[in-house]
Amino acid sequence: MYAVETENLTKRYGKTYALENLDFTIDENEIMVLLGPNGSGKTTLLLILATVLKPTSGNAKVMGLDVAAQPTQVRRLLGIAFQDARGFWRHKPADILRFHASVCGVPKAKADSLIETFFKDLELWDARNKLFMHLSGGQAKRLEVSKVLVQRPKFAILDEPTSQVDLRGKRQIWEQILKLREEGSTILVATNEVREAEYLADRVTVLDLGKFVVCDSVRKLKDSITGGDIVELEIDTSEPKTLEEALNQIDGTVKITNARENRFKAYVSMAESWVPKMTEICYQNKARIHSIRITEPSLDDVFLHFTGRTLRENNK
Amino acid sequence: MRNVIRLVWFDLKPELSPPVWIVMEWVVFLVQVGIYGAIISQLVTNPVIGDYKQFYAVGLVIMITFDMASHTGRHFVEHAHEGRLPYLLSLPISRSKLFLTIALQGATELALMLSVPLIVTLLIIGNLTWVSVVACILALFFLGFGVAGLMLGLSFIAFKSSDLYTAMVTGLSAVIIRFSTVLYPFIVLPSQYASAAAFSPLTYGSDLVRFILGFDPTILLNPYYAVAVLAGLAVSTLGLGIFLAQRLVEGVKSA
Repeated sequence: MYAVETENLTKRYGKTYALENLDFTIDENEIMVLLGPNGSGKTTLLLILATVLKPTSGNAKVMGLDVAAQPTQVRRLLGIAFQDARGFWRHKPADILRFHASVCGVPKAKADSLIETFFKDLELWDARNKLFMHLSGGQAKRLEVSKVLVQRPKFAILDEPTSQVDLRGKRQIWEQILKLREEGSTILVATNEVREAEYLADRVTVLDLGKFVVCDSVRKLKDSITGGDIVELEIDTSEPKTLEEALNQIDGTVKITNARENRFKAYVSMAESWVPKMTEICYQNKARIHSIRITEPSLDDVFLHFTGRTLRENNK
Repeated sequence: MRNVIRLVWFDLKPELSPPVWIVMEWVVFLVQVGIYGAIISQLVTNPVIGDYKQFYAVGLVIMITFDMASHTGRHFVEHAHEGRLPYLLSLPISRSKLFLTIALQGATELALMLSVPLIVTLLIIGNLTWVSVVACILALFFLGFGVAGLMLGLSFIAFKSSDLYTAMVTGLSAVIIRFSTVLYPFIVLPSQYASAAAFSPLTYGSDLVRFILGFDPTILLNPYYAVAVLAGLAVSTLGLGIFLAQRLVEGVKSA
């Protein structure tokens, strides 16, 4: 059984499709990252899975429970950190987390201990008794994520969990999300930050304009780009032309350019298997390698590869 | 049920610490009855009405009930606009319990807000008994639920434009209060005013409360009729309001 499964899931607002016939699965104890630009349908999908929105057509199941037919049971299994941390303006962060924990059935002693831990780990300790309306954007976002961390649900949904958070804070939140998965939670993260996706994802699902584009592990998605890896070489050789021809014969080579006499740039698929073969050829050709620099494609390149547009272009 | 109480308390807590606006409402009521009520009762000396100050005090209680019930509807809209509604909708509480929470919170605020005005009014009338208090509270809750349902039903407008919603609710409030028997009895109204007043829920609420408190029944509407109208209003508008709001927030209307 999948932890999450959707079949022909569609959400329509008037004539606009926010999601269109989406088939999508998440395995248990997996971190699935939804990657897509603004307006790609990420948040709509999360809200449907969290039973906040009802689908126009199609099915969605969380841990085998239908989100439309058994919404209350689904809500008992999940916790969601929303994209916009808003709401209880006149409450204090400590009260908000205590309330959330109690409504979600976390025993008081455990909740108090977790709240203290996350306030300290996510640097909210000094702000715990401020009113919510006085928190900075980053603090409000960390508080939003803390709700899910304190709840420790079977299925955690995080919508852009580190937007507005500084670099150190991002890393702290990512570590906590990984810990949550280690404890057995299934996690769905929506983001348009490539670094976040690369750090967290077991698999990435790319959405564009409400439609499913591709889903796989980060490694496989990158490897699926033919010639996506760039290997820059500095090689001392007396016969650069011969060497270039030999390198061109290696499986996975898409293109070799010889920028300067001893500098080569190879566009290859799967650099990790290409480089050992290259070193062997250099040895056979008595060429001496001075330096190797490998650049792999980013998820932005993956998005570009599958949709013809970059994430950054789409977010503008 | 424990979660319903938790949610009601969580929402009410900041309003009660300290309860400034509730106390301010009491002060406004006392000033209104003590000064304006005393003066206007000197001017209105119609023998059909008797002591107008008593009539006026009940009218003020009805207006507070109306304001609080409208506030409950607006509160729901504010929740949606402030982004709090999606959070509430994601909590492990059934939708019916969530709407019960909204209604209970409104009812609790109404009870807190009315406690002093109602007791003062009953003292002015000289009818402060358990029976009168309980009967009044029941009648006012029926009225409150009806008005809250009406405002919830209208909340779909707010999702299109909050300005339009505010304008409509303000206009509707003005009409519902003025064209009613809140401040003047049915029998003294000119016929065209009386016809309009028959459509205001406040007419039935105020006449029923006055009947319970021992006002002359000949100047009031039939109490059985008032009970039927208020009960019908509460059930239909609250039911419709919850139905519309639920469909609206979960986006089924777009299907």
